[in-house]
Amino acid sequence: MVLIFKYFFPVIFLLSAGNWLVAPEKSGDWDEETPVQEVLKELGEATPAHLLPGESATSLMIIKQGEDIVKRGRTIGPNGKLSSYVSKYFICTNCHNIEQEDPDLTSRDPELRLEYAREKGIPFLQGTTFDGIVNRETWYNDDYVKKYGDLVKPAHDDLREAIQLCAIQCSQGRPLEGWEMRAVLAYFWSLQFTLEDLQLTPGEMAQLQAESANPAKWESLRKLVKGKYLQTSPAHFSDAPPDKTKGYGLTGDPEKGKVLYELSCLHCHNANGVSEYVLDQSQMSFRDLEKKIPKDTHYSIYQIIRYGTWAQPGHRPYMPHYPLERMSNQQVEDLRAYVDRMSG
Amino acid sequence: MLKTRKILIYSFALWLFSILSLAAFAQKEIVYHTFKGTRVVNGHSVEAQREGELEMIIAHRFGRLNGGPYELFGLDQANMRIGLEYGLKDWLSVGAGRNSYEKTYDGFVKVRLLRQRVGGLPFSATYVGGMAYRTMHETDSVRALFATNRMFYSHQLLLASKIGDRFSFQLMPTVVHRNFTESLVEKNDVKAMGVAARVRLNKNFALTGEYYYILPNQLADIYFNPAGIGIDIETGGHVFQLHFTNSRGMTERFFIPETTGNWLKGDIHFGFNMGRIFKVKGRWY
Repeated sequence: MVLIFKYFFPVIFLLSAGNWLVAPEKSGDWDEETPVQEVLKELGEATPAHLLPGESATSLMIIKQGEDIVKRGRTIGPNGKLSSYVSKYFICTNCHNIEQEDPDLTSRDPELRLEYAREKGIPFLQGTTFDGIVNRETWYNDDYVKKYGDLVKPAHDDLREAIQLCAIQCSQGRPLEGWEMRAVLAYFWSLQFTLEDLQLTPGEMAQLQAESANPAKWESLRKLVKGKYLQTSPAHFSDAPPDKTKGYGLTGDPEKGKVLYELSCLHCHNANGVSEYVLDQSQMSFRDLEKKIPKDTHYSIYQIIRYGTWAQPGHRPYMPHYPLERMSNQQVEDLRAYVDRMSG
Repeated sequence: MLKTRKILIYSFALWLFSILSLAAFAQKEIVYHTFKGTRVVNGHSVEAQREGELEMIIAHRFGRLNGGPYELFGLDQANMRIGLEYGLKDWLSVGAGRNSYEKTYDGFVKVRLLRQRVGGLPFSATYVGGMAYRTMHETDSVRALFATNRMFYSHQLLLASKIGDRFSFQLMPTVVHRNFTESLVEKNDVKAMGVAARVRLNKNFALTGEYYYILPNQLADIYFNPAGIGIDIETGGHVFQLHFTNSRGMTERFFIPETTGNWLKGDIHFGFNMGRIFKVKGRWY
């Protein structure tokens, strides 16, 4: 009996106290590091289909595998062997950034993005960034149906399908295996938005914390959170100007064109890049580009930016085009102005 | 005194090697495309295949221009070499080919030793070691011929620099060893110094040229120093090289010690190299 009082009760007491001291996280107990998905879940948002079970999403090993696939095209698989390349021609980062690329998450203004990309030294690319991709609700939006037709339908509201479409069609590769898909998704979840990314004002943060315990307020709070970033990535296609000599009839800024040339064109068209058409800062490169501007071929910057090229049997690599949200007509003219200036 | 001089020379060489190695491995951007192809005209350029790349090069050298209209300025005859080159690593490639001229097989190993870098090492260096085996049926009335008599070797150190966007220059100290010579007055080891250059006219066209100076008293009088000029045409994955040269052969074993054409007499061969690169291992870039 003495033993029971001496050892058993104190142990039980300490265990109970531990429970009281480490109380479960309650709604609204968030800080800047809290993932947006966690907040929305607690505010009654339905769980997205691409959410991974906790173990897969947080395993550093799986995240690293996903990062390898995204940045290098392959990784060490579960069998301990190096996997085959998803695509022989491209890796994800040829067309997508992994960092925040828009200064304002509620806008897809390419002018603002270019300035932001220049400041941060990141490429200016055709595809949307993977930063916060898991927080979006649709992919391959708007005019992508013109390019991929019915292939877009399953990918439009399913991130797994969108990744497979990208692997098979966009990068001309193979479908991801189950473990590869989990790894890529785990990596993408590691890039999800946190409350800090949303740049909430102190008042909004306080409101979020104060009203989160009241289910009646959840809908308005969800609206508040979702109003801080785009759940979709708009993509509208444009045509090349009918008269390429005249262009879009806008006056280009060669200084902005220089940034575009360096952060966009040279990202792929450098001596070690994915393209066989190599460009550099030599006058020869600019003269070649300038000479071809009026032509109705994909060597004209108007044509290639707006239509890209296509994978063909025997020559699978191609160049994806830029939707208006990724490069505006004004920016195409800026690029032309730089090419004109540098070609002498 | 001699020993001291040797020590000084070796010390200087070691110091130079250290400096060059440090410069080579510094994290500076590599200068690419000193030459567009792995050949200048007949000889190797400092360029090599990247890892996993396989290039097929089909080369022709027609007859002499001074054959006149009857020979259609040499087009009635042609020597051909078909060859494959493969990059085992970015710094190591191997190649083999077959020449219709004297039914000769050749092979080589190419090692990129140093790479020119922007603001760093001002030149690239590549070693090429080659061998060739002549299979043509032949007899010698004086001497018995063995298999070893049909073998040839070459060693080249290629030192090249790209100066600006348009101009590239290459030095090619070369030794060709022949196990068997036609004449006793000829040396088995033939030493030569080659120079080559490339001038880019625009993004797709470049003028090229090469010349090998054969050191005196090594060959019979019937042989001339090989020289060639040409034009490179770049079309994405292809490189077309059109050229005029006084040599018939397309490997070092032929064109360095056995060039019989005299430019001044019109002994000029029109020819071309046509290369197509296939990526057979790894990613395409």
